[in-house]
Amino acid sequence: MSPFAFLRMALARLGALLARNRAASDDELHEEFESHLEMEAAEFVRRGMSLEEARRRARIAAGGLAQAAEAVRDQRGIPLIEGLLADLRYAFRTLRQSPAFSVVVILTLALGIGANTAIFTVVRGVLLKPLPHRDGERLVYLRHSIDGPGGGSISFSVPEVRDLRDGVRAFAGIAEFSSWTLRLELPDATERVKAGLVTGNYFDVMGLSTILGRATGLEDDGAGAPPVAVLTYEGWRNRFASDSTVVGRSIRVDGKPATVIGVLQPAPFYPEPVEMLLNMSVSEHHVSSRMIEGRTHRMTEVVARLRPEVSMEQARSEVEGVVARMQERYREAYDLGAHHRVSVVSFRDVMGERAQLTLWVLMAAAAFVLLISAANVANLTLMRVVRREHELVVRAALGAGVARLRRLILVENLLLTVAGAALGSMVAFSGVHLLAAFAARYSSRSGEIAVDLAVLVFALALAVALAIALSMAPFLPREGTLAAVISAGLRRIGGVRRQRAHRVLVVAQVAVSVVLLAGAGLLTRTVLQLSQVETGLRSEEVLTMSVSLLTPAQLLSGPAADAGAKQRYAEMLEALRALPGVTAAAIGAPGPLRSSEVGFEVKGDGRALATGEAMPRADLRLADPHYFDAAGIPLIAGRPFAATDERGAARVVILNRTLAERLFPGANPLGRRVAWTGDVLRFTPFSDEWRTVIGVAADTRDGGLDARPRGAMYMPFAQEVAIAGGLVIRTERNVAKLVPAATRIVRRLAPGVPIENVRTIAQIRDESVSPRRLNAALLSSFSLLAVLIAAVGISGVLAFSVGARRTEIGIRMSLGASAGDVEWMVMAEGGVLLASGLVIGLALSAGVTRFIQGMLFGVAPRDPATLAVVSMLIAAIGLVACWIPAHRASLISPAITLRA
Amino acid sequence: MPQGESTPKQEVQQGTLAPMMLKTLEGLGPLHGYGVARRIEETSKHRLSLNYDTLYPALLRLEKEGFIKSSCGQSDNNRRAKFYALTAAGRQRLPRETSEWLATADLIAAFLAPRREVP
Repeated sequence: MSPFAFLRMALARLGALLARNRAASDDELHEEFESHLEMEAAEFVRRGMSLEEARRRARIAAGGLAQAAEAVRDQRGIPLIEGLLADLRYAFRTLRQSPAFSVVVILTLALGIGANTAIFTVVRGVLLKPLPHRDGERLVYLRHSIDGPGGGSISFSVPEVRDLRDGVRAFAGIAEFSSWTLRLELPDATERVKAGLVTGNYFDVMGLSTILGRATGLEDDGAGAPPVAVLTYEGWRNRFASDSTVVGRSIRVDGKPATVIGVLQPAPFYPEPVEMLLNMSVSEHHVSSRMIEGRTHRMTEVVARLRPEVSMEQARSEVEGVVARMQERYREAYDLGAHHRVSVVSFRDVMGERAQLTLWVLMAAAAFVLLISAANVANLTLMRVVRREHELVVRAALGAGVARLRRLILVENLLLTVAGAALGSMVAFSGVHLLAAFAARYSSRSGEIAVDLAVLVFALALAVALAIALSMAPFLPREGTLAAVISAGLRRIGGVRRQRAHRVLVVAQVAVSVVLLAGAGLLTRTVLQLSQVETGLRSEEVLTMSVSLLTPAQLLSGPAADAGAKQRYAEMLEALRALPGVTAAAIGAPGPLRSSEVGFEVKGDGRALATGEAMPRADLRLADPHYFDAAGIPLIAGRPFAATDERGAARVVILNRTLAERLFPGANPLGRRVAWTGDVLRFTPFSDEWRTVIGVAADTRDGGLDARPRGAMYMPFAQEVAIAGGLVIRTERNVAKLVPAATRIVRRLAPGVPIENVRTIAQIRDESVSPRRLNAALLSSFSLLAVLIAAVGISGVLAFSVGARRTEIGIRMSLGASAGDVEWMVMAEGGVLLASGLVIGLALSAGVTRFIQGMLFGVAPRDPATLAVVSMLIAAIGLVACWIPAHRASLISPAITLRA
Repeated sequence: MPQGESTPKQEVQQGTLAPMMLKTLEGLGPLHGYGVARRIEETSKHRLSLNYDTLYPALLRLEKEGFIKSSCGQSDNNRRAKFYALTAAGRQRLPRETSEWLATADLIAAFLAPRREVP
């Protein structure tokens, strides 16, 4: 059944129901009359009349029955719902009489409302929805940061957490979370699992409860506690197939037995999704004195819960105080030049941090599109009301008050906007999974994106608000002035005042389009700029993948595991080199164009720091002798590592250009000595010995194409612990075809070890560009939509203006104006609107585009070239839109027009 | 007495019917439409006569305004009939209505009384 038919049937049913109601009360009335008559007749009979005569007399005395019934009915009045129904039926009929108008309006509104509903669904799921955690608004995340690249979030050490716990009274609880990858031994295979090691109060502080079993408590803290695991909802689903008997099961993690004690409710995690949470005792390292006493050994994330009556500000100032006292007391642990600071951020904001700029920009863009569509619909409605003026005045003359006419118009508009909202929302909702996939790039809360009541209410509220706004637009004569209007002649109503409203709306539409298009243009230029950035690698025919044979626990366990892993890496490389087409295979840590997770302070021999200068920091990277060749990273000076740079040989390093210039500005770094430095090295497998610089490599864009290269120090893979395994495979051509064969080899030699980040260099490049490309595409489609709607708007308004001036144009032509003159006249009228809109729009853009600065790369928010292109585009489209009605005007035949 | 056809009948003055009806219901308690009409005719000494189209719309209006309420009941001759009764609001309304009408009547009387002094 078509929606129209359905609606009509529903209306008919409702109408019938009300009619039955009315009939019932009519029956009642007649019964009352009847009994009245009988009583009167009885009275006559008592006084001696025959029954027949009595009835006749009674009837005469009563007066006209039909008349009386009518009078009662009048008094009863038309019930509200019935009146509304009549309006609805009437509105439905009029809209069906102008199907073109209705379809255009509904589609325009569907676009506007659909775009808004879609983006709102994402914004709500990712940014607005309350966290699933108990009292989630009191949950905060503490971020420890320092100056310099890589210093955005450096985590906390256990002693630092202890100081915060002792010194900050604003928190009801502070919990620790340490990311930890572990080996989960299942009966048939060994798998790697992303996990978190947490203190016993973690679940209490986070406000998370279990759906099965229990969470950890304070009794699970300390070295002596038996290892226990709480599965996250995802971990339970992915690793244990949602087995409801999992609680109490004994599992082996990192070679140790642990007991599953519970399954958590679904919840997002930060900084990364995890599959299980264990107490610290599962890792010897986490309960060792090195970890617990090491002030610079920072590998702990901190979440805290604010006390109920405490404000964020209070917590911030207390934390600030603790940090200042810490730096005062342990001077050796804090480089003052690095400006240690701790910020307190609401957990919900942290979760939405990366998403919010993009999402709010898209939300604003969608709102702009809605504004433009609403303006268009307003114009259409205005024009239609002018055409219907006659009808409205007649209705008024027949006794419909202005309030009643307004109600009629409101009902009509409601019908249109609700239909538009329904259509738009249907399209938006059918794409919810696409939106969730888009949002997953920015937030781990994308799983919470869903169409819920709030979203439906949002769509409906938009529809109702629009209907009300649209109903305000038409100018209706004030109560009591109808006679004046009628006597003034109907033609005069659609006069100057009305047309001014059209013009204002069109100028606004053009202006808003300019702003949207400017934003889209800037994002598009960003994408163009970004795809021109050099990766630093000479070839793109390179395949990389990460295979980490050693878990953190094994890395810390000693040299035996490391030797075994190196042996297996060597076997892998040998097998990979034997594949057809492979010209080079190498290993590093991490692979090329991946940012290193390890980095320390570094010093150069004979290079003194200026006072107040922060210690230079560098990423730690490992590379084997073929790494630079296989990855295509040019060596600017010196030599690559050689097979002789093995364990026990002289310690050598290769710097990247950024670090070389930082440590040895203006000097030749070859042969100079450098060393890692800092207290933290005590807790790592890396030494602070002096190492000789044997080469300088080109910078590579490891942190993404838009991130500035960071200082990096390469050390020979053979001389250090294999912290990660980044395989680099190079072919002459078609490297992507190598993926199945290469992964097969790795899987055979390292069963159960996940193969991550299997990407060609071209794909890595693309990953860096594609989120922005998507943003640019979304905003561009929004803005093109806006421009088209605005063009239709300007064209429609001009056409209307021409229509209203047909007689005038006819007179002009009969007085000698040529078709060209008429065309020019109309074009000029449109041109003024276009130009005003353009100027206002450019001024607005200049103010607004700075909000998207964070989404831009390589282009300024007020980029003149972009604005110029935008202006030309708008002008071109606008002129075409003006030309159509102008041309039509020039075809007006004066003879026909004047005779009409 | 109904219909002394020769007696000159008067139309009910606008606005006067409501207080008459309220007063009637106050005096006699719940009553059907016929009873109300008869009572008013009697009290007016048959100077007034109430037709259906005056009586029933007026009752309905009072009911809508909440001064009276209706319910079904049995008439004297065992017919089903609709009975009207005063509500609390109607009871409160009556004294005000009464004093207002008395004041109005007074005023009108003062205006229309033959003048003694000649200017």
